[in-house]
Amino acid sequence: MFEAFIDGLLLVLQWKAFSLMLVGMALGFCVGLLPGIGGAATLALMIPFIFKMSPAEAFAFLLGMHSVAATTGDITSVLFGVPGEAISAATVVDGYPMAKKGEAGRALGAALMSSLLGALIGAFALALAIPIVRPLVLTFGSPELFMLGIIGISCITSLSGSSARGQIKGFAMGLLGLLVATIGQERQSGSLRFDMGLMYLWDGLDFVPVLVGIFAIPEIIDLAVRGTSIAGDRPPENLSAGVVEGVKDTFRHFWLVFRCSVVGVFVGILPGAGGGVAQWMAYAHAVQSAKDGTDRAGFGKGDVRGVLGPGAANNSKEGGELIPTVAFGVPGSGAMAILLSGFLIMGIMPGPDMLTKHLALTFSMVWTLAIANVITVILCLAILDQLAKLTYVRGGLIIPFVLLLVFVGSYTANGQIADLIVTLIFGVLSYFMVIFGWPRPPFVLGFVLGKVIETYLFISMTRYGFGWLTHPIVVGLIVLMAIVIAYPYVQQHRQRPREPVHA
Amino acid sequence: MRKGAVIFCGFLIAVSGFAIFTATGWSFKTKLFPLSVAIPLLILSTVQLILMLLGKEATDEGAMDVDFTTDVPPEIVRRRVVGVFCWIVGFIALVYLLGFPWTTPLFIFLYLRFQSEVSWAGALASAAVTWGCFHLLFQSLVHIQFEPGVIQAWLGL
Repeated sequence: MFEAFIDGLLLVLQWKAFSLMLVGMALGFCVGLLPGIGGAATLALMIPFIFKMSPAEAFAFLLGMHSVAATTGDITSVLFGVPGEAISAATVVDGYPMAKKGEAGRALGAALMSSLLGALIGAFALALAIPIVRPLVLTFGSPELFMLGIIGISCITSLSGSSARGQIKGFAMGLLGLLVATIGQERQSGSLRFDMGLMYLWDGLDFVPVLVGIFAIPEIIDLAVRGTSIAGDRPPENLSAGVVEGVKDTFRHFWLVFRCSVVGVFVGILPGAGGGVAQWMAYAHAVQSAKDGTDRAGFGKGDVRGVLGPGAANNSKEGGELIPTVAFGVPGSGAMAILLSGFLIMGIMPGPDMLTKHLALTFSMVWTLAIANVITVILCLAILDQLAKLTYVRGGLIIPFVLLLVFVGSYTANGQIADLIVTLIFGVLSYFMVIFGWPRPPFVLGFVLGKVIETYLFISMTRYGFGWLTHPIVVGLIVLMAIVIAYPYVQQHRQRPREPVHA
Repeated sequence: MRKGAVIFCGFLIAVSGFAIFTATGWSFKTKLFPLSVAIPLLILSTVQLILMLLGKEATDEGAMDVDFTTDVPPEIVRRRVVGVFCWIVGFIALVYLLGFPWTTPLFIFLYLRFQSEVSWAGALASAAVTWGCFHLLFQSLVHIQFEPGVIQAWLGL
């Protein structure tokens, strides 16, 4: 075992594999910065280039690229409020307000260091978990996966307010997201739903135009309204000190980063959930970890913990997603499905062989995840000073370039002008959501999970009728959901000052 | 503000009502999920609207999302919001008419020159550099296929 572990490292450190990993990382860096061009799409574009590579070289190239895209996606989320990757959206919620407060360096330092720790924990989990994860994955059927999706939405909606009235808006937004996800062809029967007679809507709404509309357009409008730089009229922060502070924050909240990394690994292991869910569950966990209402009030307004949680989960889920892909040939996400085709091109069949015959190759993937992230974070930390200075450039000079990136990103979804209109429509909707205090994160999570949840609900109903509601794990998850929803009330009740007792 | 919030709530009621009305005509399989989502959405939006009208809205809102700036006078906010929306709509219209590759330098130039009041030379140079980067990155490296605009199609370019 140890010998294979070292052999895996040596495979990655061979000059050709290492050089290809660096090339992949450079590509991943650019892809991560560009909104809309996802890591999965780039993986698909790069698959034809691996035919002449050895398996170790091919996986160093592909995984180097994929793991780095998740890390650098946080950079535009923090600097401009535009998620570089779909899986970096949660970082916007607190990262961008930090940039507006003149703490871009700190936010970036925290995002990158937590990403690094998350990636290392994910890689470690991949190394450790393969032998023990099989029973877990096999225990989770459609009913359990359906309930897990519902818990994900409950986590985020229950945090929209600490009273029943405050939570109404959160739940309504989660439901609206689920409803928007039903647009298009229903997968089981093929019937069209809410297509308005438009062929564009037959496949449903693509995630990218909706996401960039929801997050980027309101921020651009706000920047135009302020008429200042992103950081406003605040004196420039000491950027190096800010970055160091962000790195320190990561270790100051180490256990939060660790727990969010574990959330990322767990969500990554489960097929179909993906990074879009991991980041929000981690964010919800970060908010729920707040000691009281006052401690929680800073979230959404630039709390560094809101950057650390999603940053860690985004990267740890890479290791988690690889576990079922490598061990059972069951891809945990679209990107892993593409990677699986890489396995087949290389003539390698995922499964027990990966734990015996190809164990060194499996460990080379662990090493690639770890080494690629270490190099990226060191490089990023070196250039963060220059990146963070962008938040002090006058808004009027930034807006046209950000608008261009946003719309090119959304256009890549289907290559149609309708993608731009969808971005605009959801941008307007999102603007009014912020103005009238309706939280956007539940909407996004509902939209991301909608199709997955519906599929699992349909399979559960077809196979078990309503009997699936009595499955022991489902019952356990329902109890967990009740706890998640009730937790803010309990926390509020505990904080309420006790009435003095009169004799 | 309050009037706008009520209208937004009404919009949610209308959306969920429309979804329920449309879905009732579908087969069980097709309508199961939309109805299980739209009915609670209708109920929650209605409850929220009633609370708003009675003035009993929650006071602990605003958690977990960004806040917009509040230190700009409302009339300037309105003017700037309308202005930026016009630019966005103009950008989409330009893409429709000219396609992305032509719109990119034109939009950057127009915005920088007439909105940000950058010098003619500065705006032109920025537009040229952006066009070069756009071509190199999106067309040469990533190979994104950009559809020609209506005008090019009409002229047969």
